[in-house]
Amino acid sequence: MQQQMILLVFLILAGITTVVFTYVYASSKKAGQEKQGMSNPLRKRFWFLLILFVVLGIFASVTIPKSPYFLFADETPKKIVHVSAMQFAFILSEKAIDPKSPSGEPIELPANELVEFRVTSLDVNHGFAIYDQSNTLITQTQAMPGYVNRLRHKFKEPGKYNILCLEFCGMAHHGMRSSFIVK
Amino acid sequence: MESIKIKKITAVWIITVLVLFIVSIVLGILMRLNQGEIIEQSPITFYSNMTTHGLTMIGIWFVAGMAAVNYLMQRYVKTSYTANVIAYVLTVIGVLIFWTTTFVGKFHAGWTFLYPLPFKVMWATWATPLFLVSLTVFGLGWLIWSISLMTQLLKKYSIAQVFAWQHFRKNPKVETPPFILITMITLIGIITCLFAAVILIALFFAEYFSNGNFLNDALLMKNLTYFFGHTIANEMLYLGLAVIYELFSEVSGRPKWRTTWYVALAWNLTLIFILTAFFHHLYMDFAQPEGFQIIGQLASYLASLPAAGVTVFSVFIAVYRTEIKWSLTNLLFFIGVAGWVIGGLGAVIDATITNNVLLHNTLWVPAHFHTYNAMGNVLFSLAFFYWFTNQFTKNIEDGKFTKLTLAILLIGGIGFLLAFYIGGADSIPRRYSNYPTDFTAAAPLATMGAIFATIYLTAILIFFFKIYKGCLKILFSPS
Amino acid sequence: MFKNIVFTFVTINSWFFANAQTASGIEEETNIYERIYNAPIRVSRNQQLTFTDLNNKKPLLLALIFTKCAGVCNPFLLQLKENLQFINSDNPFTILVLSFDPRDRLGDMNLLAQKLGLENNKKWIFAVTDSIALLNQSIGFYPRWDSVRSQYDHDALLVGINKEGYITKKLIGIRDKLDLDLLISSVNNIYSPTYRLPNKNILFSCFNYDPKTGKNRPGLGWLFIALPAVLAMSLLLSISFIVHNKLPAE
Repeated sequence: MQQQMILLVFLILAGITTVVFTYVYASSKKAGQEKQGMSNPLRKRFWFLLILFVVLGIFASVTIPKSPYFLFADETPKKIVHVSAMQFAFILSEKAIDPKSPSGEPIELPANELVEFRVTSLDVNHGFAIYDQSNTLITQTQAMPGYVNRLRHKFKEPGKYNILCLEFCGMAHHGMRSSFIVK
Repeated sequence: MESIKIKKITAVWIITVLVLFIVSIVLGILMRLNQGEIIEQSPITFYSNMTTHGLTMIGIWFVAGMAAVNYLMQRYVKTSYTANVIAYVLTVIGVLIFWTTTFVGKFHAGWTFLYPLPFKVMWATWATPLFLVSLTVFGLGWLIWSISLMTQLLKKYSIAQVFAWQHFRKNPKVETPPFILITMITLIGIITCLFAAVILIALFFAEYFSNGNFLNDALLMKNLTYFFGHTIANEMLYLGLAVIYELFSEVSGRPKWRTTWYVALAWNLTLIFILTAFFHHLYMDFAQPEGFQIIGQLASYLASLPAAGVTVFSVFIAVYRTEIKWSLTNLLFFIGVAGWVIGGLGAVIDATITNNVLLHNTLWVPAHFHTYNAMGNVLFSLAFFYWFTNQFTKNIEDGKFTKLTLAILLIGGIGFLLAFYIGGADSIPRRYSNYPTDFTAAAPLATMGAIFATIYLTAILIFFFKIYKGCLKILFSPS
Repeated sequence: MFKNIVFTFVTINSWFFANAQTASGIEEETNIYERIYNAPIRVSRNQQLTFTDLNNKKPLLLALIFTKCAGVCNPFLLQLKENLQFINSDNPFTILVLSFDPRDRLGDMNLLAQKLGLENNKKWIFAVTDSIALLNQSIGFYPRWDSVRSQYDHDALLVGINKEGYITKKLIGIRDKLDLDLLISSVNNIYSPTYRLPNKNILFSCFNYDPKTGKNRPGLGWLFIALPAVLAMSLLLSISFIVHNKLPAE
């Protein structure tokens, strides 16, 4: 699960940071008059920066092409689901949703096929986040009034998926949810 | 006379900030307790407390940084006492109006008040315009203050000097102290984001008074909201860094840090990165052009380079194998820098678009920004408060007790933050007054957060009692 | 003070936006990614084709009209012709003008082509079909016969169909070049992760989609995002200028 990996990487990096800071602090505590400071600080600084720059550069060039805006761009979706978010419910329909009398229907989606969610909002900003059966966030987009965001995804596992609102939208924000089935 | 006045107003700022801080922590603990199902608040109470907590925290740590910078700036240029007092009065009035809207009017659109949420009134109808008024009052006070400080700097330094451009050449004739450079860079950022707030509030008012004839664009408003919100939250950290550049070597008994070509370059670049990094708040808005999304990720990444390569590295150089007079002040600075770095790591992870899909608006977000605020910026400001009080009162530093307080602060802070990070990796949403039952770990984590936050609060209370006595003495001393 | 500027701006611009597009969003969203009915169509006396034959070669822009129309059909086609002249898109497409009126014969369509000066234009095909009801149903297009006026009551509809025969996008009403560009990209399966809903009469929108580049281009609202930095820099310059020039030194 990607989130656990992210947490692990973070904890390792945070641990390294703590160790380095503690080490530097301890070296100051032990320092006497004769051992003065860091040798060649400018050179070390340069290398430190260069390594950081290269690492971040690699990271950026690897991750940016995988951004959701570029995913499945060349394929035609097998199914399209219209989503209208409103305080405090999601309306899902395979037909277009009329903002004047919005109504939805239960949704069933095919597994391993490309699905496109066309997400908009009828009132304020909402989040449209899809959670799998183990309650892990798998993908999301924002529901913004006046705009339609197209979220494309292929569901690998059949089962029930939950939708939660991930943008604070008022007093019943935490109760705003829906679901669909993948077969 | 002038120096006595600035001393007193700084003491007043410190006491005000600490009192508001304690109240806001308590609100935060209540929120975590409610999420942990230990106490029961109505969602409206929860969300209005959340709004109060967020905006108050942003406001106080911003003004704390400003007050510290203003005080230290006296060493280089004469600053306007009037502007300082105006900012104080308007901040207090702003807080009173704002708290009225949330505590009495139950306004609860969140401190980001994302358009058009404030217009979907679920609170007293007067609360929306009054909330906008409170923002106007804050904005006015802070703009006057920052423009006044900028003017004083420009009276002494030319534009090229204040940005330390002469340091790009060999053997510059005039030296721009790092403190002046960083303060200037930060002030420009602050003024820019306050202008964004002015435009935002004007557009809100325009729609409010137009009776539906004028509608705003949600995407534009969101961009402006985070231009203001992200940037001000970021700049307050940089105010803290300016203080570190000025004080760290001084309290350590070391030679003063000097501006070099790379320090000048790093901070000039920082200005650009800070002003474009806010785009990372809109990653999940596919309506935002892809170019801006990529700029968001790159700027967020690049912002870490000058920070790590120059500021953090300079701290290392200053400390590594160097005999230093360690006191609570520089220890707080040192730990604060570590907290800032760790929070920054969490931020860079989240600023990666592919991670953001899984972390956006989960508890990961409060996790990382609480790290560099509660364990970074707060410590920077506490260090300044402590140093400031120690200047004028014989505040006896009892070694063991200080270490104990620091230990409590660290334990409380780390435990409180871990609950957030684990929650974020567990896909638990942020800003939920009550968690759905399918998030089994959410409530226990919230309780854990509340317990550790209480430990953190204990340490803050100890610091408060140490500092406020000194501040009161400064305030009521005749000279 | 700023509020005043905003209001002035609103007033100045209101005339410009008064004749903004007012198509209803909902009809454009129906039947998207559904397969179009593979209707047999007659292009000339001795040429019988199907939709698949056409869209297999090039994606289609389908315009549904009837020749005896006294209303929107003629301006709609004229505008379409004019807009397409200014589009030099590298993305291929064919425009299929199809009558939904069973009374229309191939001769009527040829006459229409001549009237528009398009009879020799290879990009344009004028045709009739026997299966209009099924075709209309697959598109979600329902013209109503008005017996009083002896006319069909209908929308000006342009349907985008990709090479695979799926409806990718619809445009209702006489639309501008930008929307047409978007339609042409959509039939060529060029993905844009977002689009704006029509009928939103909003002044300061941030971005308008430019299908030429596949990117959004800054709208009026973008100025508002750049404005704070511009204001801050001008303030910096003017303060510096004032304190160094107007005030006596020291």
